[in-house]
Amino acid sequence: MARWFRFFIAIIFGLGLGLVYGWIINPVLSVDISPDTLRIDYKTDYVLMVAEAFQEEQDLPMAIRRLAVLGNIAPVQSVDQAIEFAQKSGYIEPDIGRMQTLLSALQNLPSQQGGGP
Amino acid sequence: MNYSEDRGAWYLLTGIIVGAVLGIVYTRYFQPVRYVDTSPAALRQDFKDQYRSLIAASYLANGDLVRASARLDLLQDSDTFRALTEQAQRALARDGATTEARSLGLLAIALGQAAPGPGQAITQASRLPTVTAALSTPSNLNNTDQGNSTLTVHQQDTQTIPESPELPVTTPNGIPETPLSAESFVMISMSEACDLPLSAPIIQVEVSDRSGNPAPGVLVIVTWVGGEERFFTGLKSEKGLGYADFTLNPEFVYSLRINENGSPLGNISAVRCTSDSGEPYWGAVLLKFGLQ
Repeated sequence: MARWFRFFIAIIFGLGLGLVYGWIINPVLSVDISPDTLRIDYKTDYVLMVAEAFQEEQDLPMAIRRLAVLGNIAPVQSVDQAIEFAQKSGYIEPDIGRMQTLLSALQNLPSQQGGGP
Repeated sequence: MNYSEDRGAWYLLTGIIVGAVLGIVYTRYFQPVRYVDTSPAALRQDFKDQYRSLIAASYLANGDLVRASARLDLLQDSDTFRALTEQAQRALARDGATTEARSLGLLAIALGQAAPGPGQAITQASRLPTVTAALSTPSNLNNTDQGNSTLTVHQQDTQTIPESPELPVTTPNGIPETPLSAESFVMISMSEACDLPLSAPIIQVEVSDRSGNPAPGVLVIVTWVGGEERFFTGLKSEKGLGYADFTLNPEFVYSLRINENGSPLGNISAVRCTSDSGEPYWGAVLLKFGLQ
């Protein structure tokens, strides 16, 4: 009985080692991920790029497609979050203005398609 | 007695190994690390391409090379210029001369022209954690008219552009305001070049504008029986901004035109040269185009 108990403890110990190895020492490589995991400042810059391109192209469907990769949220929400972060982080006014222009264009869509459930 | 102790030690070791394997399997397949707050460098390759295209589109809109360079640095490509040109070629092959291919090509050309001094500053800025704040500063230079969709026109007031009154209006970074894709180039000369022995025959194309200056970002289309290749001038900036070349298969005859609307120039084939000692080698077909 004690022998089985020690065996069980050994497995638990090994399991702990395996988890430490797989989660901390050698986690799965992080080179295969999507933009929705980007840090908020990178996401904001991404939205700014979309806004800059939209300013030139005036192609709203294209802007929506570009914003769609930022996760399972509505494009309006992505832009809104980006503007909020930009204002907190002291972005210059023209950049915030571009994002607000994009936000206005998205809000003026006849029927807003939400990305959430 | 000893046998029993040894046996006990082994099965404990077996338990540890079994547990460790279970743990690793669990962390690999059932509950891998979930990444949050990642950087663009960690994106999957297709998302990186998408990100790069967006950088180029943004550059085409604002002409801000400093900002575009800093953004490209975030992707940590081993060779940014090459990554851009290869993606431009892929976009050309896939979709033709789209805005995406053109913007990628123009950004590559602009980077090729950029001096190394500012580039060092750009790299430094992009490594800062607050990279977006650092990126925001340069646009103060050229955003005198906030919210105006014809932003690039106003940049002429604050930046020096090359002296060429007959050129289409250009941004400070050489983006043609009136795309050269709309222009009809004509062939100025065609010659065979044997000055340098080549390992394979090539076509060399040199395109210039009305002022005789090299014209970057001009679409060159080479066709042959069963195939077509599209590329831009200026992607080998070390050979000139209006330069492009293409390796020929000696067994084929080619046709070449500049831009979609250009007149095809046919019967182009590999040039065979002979050295003084009688050794054969490959040469180049040199084609010069310009605007009249």
